[in-house]
Amino acid sequence: MKIAIVVQRYGTEINGGAELHARYVAERLSRHASVEVLTTCAKDYLTWKNEWPSGEETVNGIRVRRFPVTRPRNTDDFGRRSALVFERQHSLADELAWLDSEGPKSPALIRHIEQVRDEFDFFLFFSARYYHAWHGARAVPGKAILVPTAERDPAVGLHLFGPVFRGVRALMYNSFEERDLIHGVSGNQAVPGVVVGVGSAIPERTQPWRFRKKFNVKRPFAIYIGRIDENKGCPALFDHFINYAANYPRGLDLILLGKAVIPIPSHPRIRAVGFVSEEDKFDALAAADLLVMPSQFESLSMVALEAWALGKPVLVNGACDVLRGQTLRANGGLCYESFEEFAEAMYCLEASGPIGAILGRQGREFFKRHYAWPVIEKKYLDMFDRLKRDSSVRPAEPWPGWWERRKRTLPPARQIVDKVPAGPVLR
Amino acid sequence: MSDFQVKSDAVDVDAIMRQIRARIREKRGTDYTEAEVQELAKVKLEQFLDPKGVRSDLVAQFRRTRTISPAPPKYDFEDDTIYETHRGLLRTIRRLLNPILKLFLNPNPIAAALHVQARVNEEFHQRFRQREDMDPLYYELVHNLALEVTRLGIEVHNMKMRVESVSSRIDFDERRSRALETVVQYKQARPPQQQRPQPQRQQDQRPQEPRPQPQAMNAPTATAPVASAPVAAMSLTSPAGDSTGDAAAVPMPASGSAPAGDRGDRPDGEGERRRRRRRRRRRPGQNMGDQQAGAGGGADGNGDDAGDDSSADMGSDSGTGSDSGTGPDSGNDAQ
Repeated sequence: MKIAIVVQRYGTEINGGAELHARYVAERLSRHASVEVLTTCAKDYLTWKNEWPSGEETVNGIRVRRFPVTRPRNTDDFGRRSALVFERQHSLADELAWLDSEGPKSPALIRHIEQVRDEFDFFLFFSARYYHAWHGARAVPGKAILVPTAERDPAVGLHLFGPVFRGVRALMYNSFEERDLIHGVSGNQAVPGVVVGVGSAIPERTQPWRFRKKFNVKRPFAIYIGRIDENKGCPALFDHFINYAANYPRGLDLILLGKAVIPIPSHPRIRAVGFVSEEDKFDALAAADLLVMPSQFESLSMVALEAWALGKPVLVNGACDVLRGQTLRANGGLCYESFEEFAEAMYCLEASGPIGAILGRQGREFFKRHYAWPVIEKKYLDMFDRLKRDSSVRPAEPWPGWWERRKRTLPPARQIVDKVPAGPVLR
Repeated sequence: MSDFQVKSDAVDVDAIMRQIRARIREKRGTDYTEAEVQELAKVKLEQFLDPKGVRSDLVAQFRRTRTISPAPPKYDFEDDTIYETHRGLLRTIRRLLNPILKLFLNPNPIAAALHVQARVNEEFHQRFRQREDMDPLYYELVHNLALEVTRLGIEVHNMKMRVESVSSRIDFDERRSRALETVVQYKQARPPQQQRPQPQRQQDQRPQEPRPQPQAMNAPTATAPVASAPVAAMSLTSPAGDSTGDAAAVPMPASGSAPAGDRGDRPDGEGERRRRRRRRRRRPGQNMGDQQAGAGGGADGNGDDAGDDSSADMGSDSGTGSDSGTGPDSGNDAQ
C-alpha cells in the first residue's frame, strides 16, 4: 500500500498543530505502508514564505517532496476577505478568493497530485481549511481521505468546504465535537468517518528532578505548554492565576513552556522558561502537578494527551467544547469557566490534593485505551481496508457556473457555524 | 478549602464539578454565571439610572444644551466598486478591460486601502455615536452619585452625633450603676441591726438608716475586694455610741471559744473589747439571732467560724472554709 500525506508544512522544526500530527501519522504509518509526504517549502504559517528548498528530501526516514508557494500571504488582504466571507453576505467567488488569499497557494503541488494520482492508494489531506487540502481533495476525490483538524471558527462554515466534506472517501476526526460540527455544517453523515485523534512520542522514562535542577524549580507547580498567545487564552489564565496566588499563598506556581507572543506579567509565582526541547518538555510535565489548558479553540489538545500519558491531570477551559468533552470522557481533569472554579479546581488537582492523582491515573488509562499508537494505527489501517473493500466512489457534486459563483447570496459563515449546536459530546 | 468526597478509586469528573459548583454557590449565595452577574449589574444600573429618580434639573439642562453631531459621509468600497455603474454594459466593458488597466497600474492596493478606510470610518462613527448615546447616562449616573454621596455624608454626620450621644449616656449609666451597687451593699448590711434583741436601740438606729453618706458614692465597686465593705459600711452607718450599746446587747459567748484559763481571769473591760472586735468581724446579713443560735448550741467557736467564713464568702482570698453554709454564703457563691 502506498500512502501520500499532503500537509501545508512539514519538518522536525514544527512541533505543534496539524503539522506535527501529520508527521507523527506519517512516521507511524510508514511501518505498515510506503508513505510519502507532499508539502510546500513554507515554514512560517503566517507568511508562507518559501524557506525550505523545493524538491525531495528525507525527514526521519520519510520521503518528503516540497513545492514552492507562489506568493506569500498578504495579511491585510486576507483580513479584509475574511471579514467579508465571515460576517457579510457573499459569493462563492469571494470564498475562493479568500482561500487563495489564505494560502499556501501552490499550484505546483496540486498539479503533482493530479499527475501521481495513480501511484498512491490514498491521499491523506491534513487541515481542510487550507488551499492544498481543498484543491487536492477535488483533484483526487476517489482517493482523498481528509483529516480536517477543524475548530469551531467561522471558516468551517464556508460554503466551499461543503462539497469537499461530502466528496472525500473518508474523514479522520480528531474528536467527537469536531465530527458533530462538520456534520452540522455540511451534512456529510453518509461519508465514512472515525474519531481517531493522534498519539504522541511519549518517552519511556522521564526525569522530573532533572527539570527542577536545570531550571531551579523548587515549589510545586502547574504547567502551561504551548504558544503564549492571546488566541490560546493566556491573558485570562494570567488573570485567574494572579488572583489565585493572592488568595492561596501556599498554592501552586505557574510555569510556562513555549514561545511568548504576548507579554508575560511579572509575578513571583509565574515563570516562563521559553521554548524547550522535547526532553525538557516531558520532564517538566512529569514534574508538574497538573497541566493547564486555557485555550477556547482546539480541535484536539495533543499536550493534554501527553499529560494524561504521564498520569497528570489537566485543568481545561470549559468554554472549549472539545477540551471539555475530552476531559469529561477521560475523567482525567477538571474544567473551569470562572475564577472561583479555577481556584477550586487548582486545589483539587494539586498532587497532594484529594483527587489529582486519581484523575491523572484515569487520564492515563484513557490515553492507553484510545490514543496509544497501536490503537491509532489500527484505526487508520481499518479505514484503508474498509475503503479498499468498498470501491464505490460517490459522484462529484456539480460545481456552480461562472455566473452562479459570483452571486452574492451566501450567508455569512459565522451564521452557519453559530447554528450548529455547541457543547461537549458525552458518550 | 473544601474536602471532596472520594468514595472509591474511580472519580467522576462531572460529580466533582457539581461539588465544586455547589461549594461556590454556598460561598456566594447563588450560583450566578459571569454572564448572569453582568446582567444583574446591568439591571441595577438601569434602575439606578432611571431619569425619574433624578431630583434636579441638571439633566434637563444637560439635554437642552446637548447637540448630536451629524453623521459623517459614509461610503462602501469593495473590489468592484471602481467598475460600478448604473449601465450594465459599461460595467461589463470595464471588467473586460480590467487586465489592460492593470498593465498601467495596479488598482488592488487602492481598493484595499479604501475598503479599510471605509470600515475604519464606519467603526469610528459607530463608536462616536455610542459614546454620544452614553453621555446622558453617564451624566445621570454622576448626578445621582453626587446626590447619594451628599445624602450619605449627612447621614454619616447624624450617625456620628448619635454615637456620641449614646456614648455619653452609657458613661452616665455606668457611673450611676456603680453608685447603686454601693447602696445595695449598704442595704445588705442593715438587717442585723434591725433584729437586735433590744427594741429601744432599733428605734435609735432607724432615723439614720436610709441616709447615704456622700463617701458611699466613692465606695469600691462590686468588683473590688468586698472583705472591706462590711467594715466600711459599719464605719459609715454606725455612730460611735452604738458600739457600746451593741456590745451590751451581745450575749456572752459560751465556753469553748476561748481558753478556759483566760475566761475567769480576764477582767470585764477586756472581754468587752473582744466581743466588740468579734462584732466588727461579723458578716453582713448575719444577725444577732444567728449568733445567739450558734451560741445556744453551746459552741462559741461557731460564731467565730461564721465570721471568718463570711469574709471568705464575700470574696476575700482568706478562704478559711465554708462550715456555716448559711444563706449569704450560697448567694455569694452564685455570683
